[in-house]
Amino acid sequence: MTATSALATTRTDVAAPGSRRRNRDWRAVLTGHLFVLPGIVGLGLLIVYPLATSGYHAFTDWNGLTPSRWVGLKNFDYLLRHDPTFWPSIRATALFVLLSVPVSLAAGLGLAVLVNRRYPGVRLFRTIFYLPVVLPSVAVLALWKYLYDPQYGLADEILRRLHLPTVMWLGSSRTAMPAIVIIGVWGIGGTMIIFLAGLQAVPTELYEAAQIDGAGTVRTFFRITLPMITPILLLQLVLQINAAFQTFNQVAILTKGGPGTSTDLLMYKIYSDGFGNYLAAPQLGYATAEVWVLFVIIMIVTAVTLRFSSMWVYSGEGDR
Amino acid sequence: MTVAGTHQHRRAATRVPLAVSRMSWYLLCAFLAVSMLLPLVWMLTIALKSNADVNRLPPQFLPSQFHWANFIDGPKLVNFYRLLLNTVIITVLVTVGSVVSSMVVGYGLSRISFPGRKVWFYLFTASVFVPPMVGLIPLQHFWINMGLIDTWFPLVVPAFLANPVLVFLARQYFLSIPFSLDEAARLDGAGHLRILWSIMVPLTRPVWITMAILSFQLAWNDYLTPLVYLQSPGKFTLSLGMAAFVSDMAGGSTSQYNYFMATNLLYMLPPLLLFFFAQRYFMEGIGAVGMSSK
Repeated sequence: MTATSALATTRTDVAAPGSRRRNRDWRAVLTGHLFVLPGIVGLGLLIVYPLATSGYHAFTDWNGLTPSRWVGLKNFDYLLRHDPTFWPSIRATALFVLLSVPVSLAAGLGLAVLVNRRYPGVRLFRTIFYLPVVLPSVAVLALWKYLYDPQYGLADEILRRLHLPTVMWLGSSRTAMPAIVIIGVWGIGGTMIIFLAGLQAVPTELYEAAQIDGAGTVRTFFRITLPMITPILLLQLVLQINAAFQTFNQVAILTKGGPGTSTDLLMYKIYSDGFGNYLAAPQLGYATAEVWVLFVIIMIVTAVTLRFSSMWVYSGEGDR
Repeated sequence: MTVAGTHQHRRAATRVPLAVSRMSWYLLCAFLAVSMLLPLVWMLTIALKSNADVNRLPPQFLPSQFHWANFIDGPKLVNFYRLLLNTVIITVLVTVGSVVSSMVVGYGLSRISFPGRKVWFYLFTASVFVPPMVGLIPLQHFWINMGLIDTWFPLVVPAFLANPVLVFLARQYFLSIPFSLDEAARLDGAGHLRILWSIMVPLTRPVWITMAILSFQLAWNDYLTPLVYLQSPGKFTLSLGMAAFVSDMAGGSTSQYNYFMATNLLYMLPPLLLFFFAQRYFMEGIGAVGMSSK
């Protein structure tokens, strides 16, 4: 059906001169919207519908089985003032974002600088550093869970061989979060590739000029390379903050939020409140309220990041 | 003579540090490469250990003998081949769906000039910033109401509704192709679908291969979506099955870890193979996504 109407577009142009123009416009609108239709339906079903209904359900008592009941601000009141795990979970989430985002950006950039050479064999190293990224996250997390095992795991075995004190890793509330962040560093290859693309786009004349002026490697990096890739750095910062706030798999597979509440990221808490005790008492209204709290936090952090970005992001010579 | 002499002298002076720096670069890269590969090599050695070996304390790095049978016995424990078939079907449908729908939408947004296309483009782009978790509970409810919970529909249908990131990529690429091509085709009487299929698809090969790889990875690795929608083990994907496998073991003894790692390797194999055959597209694609801010 779409095929015939698309094909017909050009055929019907031989109409009376007056109506031709309007007819063609109308055709173009129709064909254009037919092509864009999947996106429009997707936008409606996957974005607008959830935003609208969850905006309502956040203010209801709702278990998904019986009709929801309007309770006003009760969910938010309980969340902010009474829920014993909410603030610990905010604390864990903030800690995770503050640890993982800077560490992965710095490590990714460092690795990108390292492999931004023309030495023979550099492609092999790039491939090896990128390799962990292609592996399924469940497979990677399951591997690291055993790797962190205090008795059988590789991590403590290496420490023992080096005569260093062993660590409880996921088993201790002090080390569980850093242990999760380390797994993220293992998958740094994606960030590396993005920064590498950015580094290679820096005009070589700038480096030649710096060399003539006698600038050293460190100085060149901080005065030329870093400013030139700040637009990419900003995009990565925003995307990674977003992703870090929505981290779920790591906690679901490695720690279930423990020990204690040390890794109980908000996203995992939402899942366990909404779906976790599915048969017993699904608190979908309450979980929806939590989703909105997390959504608002993400929006505020993103807005603040973008607001202050003009202080450090290079925006070209007046071309924007 | 003297001039040449000092010249040579200077070159020799700079060459030694250069060689040293090159040497240390190789050493550093080799060290990092070994530490990044170590967990994977370790996984392989566990996958080859016998039941007695895997529970020996202190743990030995290498197995005393190679137990290739783990690659047969391990998968049996989780009904691996059933889950593999499920995952392949879902992944293929999701990949085809998102590439086709995103290409069509990207074409419409870049090559058909109609009032409103800018608005739609901005709306699609803005929707990237709505976190997927907002949809979690409402969409689960939606699929329950449709009577399609515990089926593959909630996993597959959204893929056919165009992915905004892929639409963005496709549109960028379409815009780089000269418009004189479609004008010529239109004079010959070709409609938009003809132009898309016989002119655009061959010309945009790099971008749709990249799109296919991105959506393959997304579908193959997805854990939260199947976790929310699937309940009967017969319909599980590999990510669900492997997660259940590992949490089964966490409770009891560690005796099955050799089986687990062997199965885990098989689970990693398809993305690994794809990576080795289409490496260029993986890395260039990721770079393109990251650079799209420019």
